[in-house]
Amino acid sequence: MTLAPASKPTRRVIADRMLEAGAANTDFVVFESDIGYSTYSYLFGDAYPARYFNMGIAELGTMAAAAGMAAEGRPVVVCGYGVFLSMRALEAVRSFVCYPRLNVKIFSSHGGVTAAIDGVTHQATEDIAFMGTLPGMTVLVPCDSASATAAFDLALGADGPVFVRLMRDPLFEVYPAGTGFRIGGSAMARKGRHVTIAAYGDMVIQSLEAAALLETDGVEAEVLDLYSVKPFDEAALRESLSRTGALVVAENHQVRNGLGYALASWCMRNGVHVPFAQIGLQDTFAESGSYPLTLEKFGMDPSSIAAAARAVIGRKKRSEQ
Amino acid sequence: MTGNNPEMPVGRIASLEAHARDIRREIVSMVHAAQSGHCGGSLSSADIVAALYFDILNIDPARPRMAGRDRFVLSKGHACPVLYAALALRGYLPVEELSTLRRNSSRLQGHPVAPYLPGIDATTGSLGMGFGQAVGMALEAKMTGAGHTVYTLLGDGELDEGLVWEAAASAAKFKLDNLVAIIDRNNLQNDGYADDIMPMEPIDRKFEAFNWRVIKIEGHDMSAIVTALESARTRSGKPTCIIAHTVKGKGVSFMEDRREWHGKAPSDEEKAKACAEIAGGRS
Repeated sequence: MTLAPASKPTRRVIADRMLEAGAANTDFVVFESDIGYSTYSYLFGDAYPARYFNMGIAELGTMAAAAGMAAEGRPVVVCGYGVFLSMRALEAVRSFVCYPRLNVKIFSSHGGVTAAIDGVTHQATEDIAFMGTLPGMTVLVPCDSASATAAFDLALGADGPVFVRLMRDPLFEVYPAGTGFRIGGSAMARKGRHVTIAAYGDMVIQSLEAAALLETDGVEAEVLDLYSVKPFDEAALRESLSRTGALVVAENHQVRNGLGYALASWCMRNGVHVPFAQIGLQDTFAESGSYPLTLEKFGMDPSSIAAAARAVIGRKKRSEQ
Repeated sequence: MTGNNPEMPVGRIASLEAHARDIRREIVSMVHAAQSGHCGGSLSSADIVAALYFDILNIDPARPRMAGRDRFVLSKGHACPVLYAALALRGYLPVEELSTLRRNSSRLQGHPVAPYLPGIDATTGSLGMGFGQAVGMALEAKMTGAGHTVYTLLGDGELDEGLVWEAAASAAKFKLDNLVAIIDRNNLQNDGYADDIMPMEPIDRKFEAFNWRVIKIEGHDMSAIVTALESARTRSGKPTCIIAHTVKGKGVSFMEDRREWHGKAPSDEEKAKACAEIAGGRS
């Protein structure tokens, strides 16, 4: 792979963009639950103390207060760790943010096992299931600096609640600055013709690496970045599958009730019948360790993705015979 | 607090007591019509809600989103019959609409939903969540320098929720003296006496320890209610908690202090008896 290493994790990119946006957009405020030095929301707080509310280690109280302020018509950003925002605060997000369709924008760090080193209590590996299930919730997962910067702007510009999943550590830059992104959109991270690997967030990068491995065998894998996890780009998926005829969904999340389930359901409902495989946590918890070794141990690393791609391609050939 | 405030015109109190009776009658009638809903905790807070909606709150039914209006958040959302009754009697919706409570397509959902009904400032129904939202609403007013007050009504059983204490701590941190939390201390919750289910006393000292100003009143003494609410409006640098000692089911003898009337609908006969008692002015 020839991707440039990222200098900042997406959580930091969002915080920098938030600080920048705070000057021109004087409307939004930021709520934090005492991990501002980890989400980097303190940068906004230092610049705009009157618009920054540190609610203490109390994610539910934070989300309820955010909902109350948003009910007054104020756009509210909430920063925190995904595992707490998507579970401890889940009911407030569901009943008091999504139900009244309020402008609360959740920037959720430590998505998937990108926080592998911190262990299972700090790994948000069910957040896409919880947040994606809520009516009216938009879910975005950027993979690099360009898409993270865009995700902040898209979230603030959207009418209604948005959940943005972010990474703990820097990975690689995939898109040039200024690349266009939109809610409901997708990005063709790599064009190919033998298999579609649909991914979001860090798994776009793992999938690109898998595609490089496959290339050595003469397999041309397409990597479709569904950074807009909900709503996802149905037209792009349909178009890609019409050319490749095989699908691997790679996500840093439980395979159950994540993007893979959504895409499988869409395929069945739309008469798109292709060999299908899912990369992700297979109904298990991960563990502490390094990010790459954790991916490897739980079958989410590039060679596991490549193996899944070869398998679906094999099934495609059989079904064509 | 005393019921003999010389500043308080007798007519004002008598008028509010009449409004409270009307609210009680509508509570019983709508829960009877729905054959579902919560009479007990609605009746216990009827005097407080009457004082708020017919005296204290700066609101205008003709302009339900009026800038600078006071906010009211029913954190004990299951007691929405008391809120719906007050809103109807105050002119936010036709009184006849109250009989649609809990029906499909009704604006009067089983628990209050802000976008559905003018006059409702926050969606509530999950205990503690209204209080948490009220903190955000009061923060917004502080930040913008708006002078209105945010009132929220909690049940005493609701104090079991950990979120209540997250909200209490943050309200004190941000010196939300524009926030008034009223606790309907009727000592009954779904499964029994609040003091048995989860002893939370001393409630006053808990809130004082959280750096709140605390006022204790008899929650069916209209003069005391009005005096406390007026006093709570003064800015002191601290949020105010009014602990209102009440009787669950107040105003209907066979519902008073009875656990089973937390969430039970009256029969035709019970409704007639209840309305007769309320009209007789027992409350």
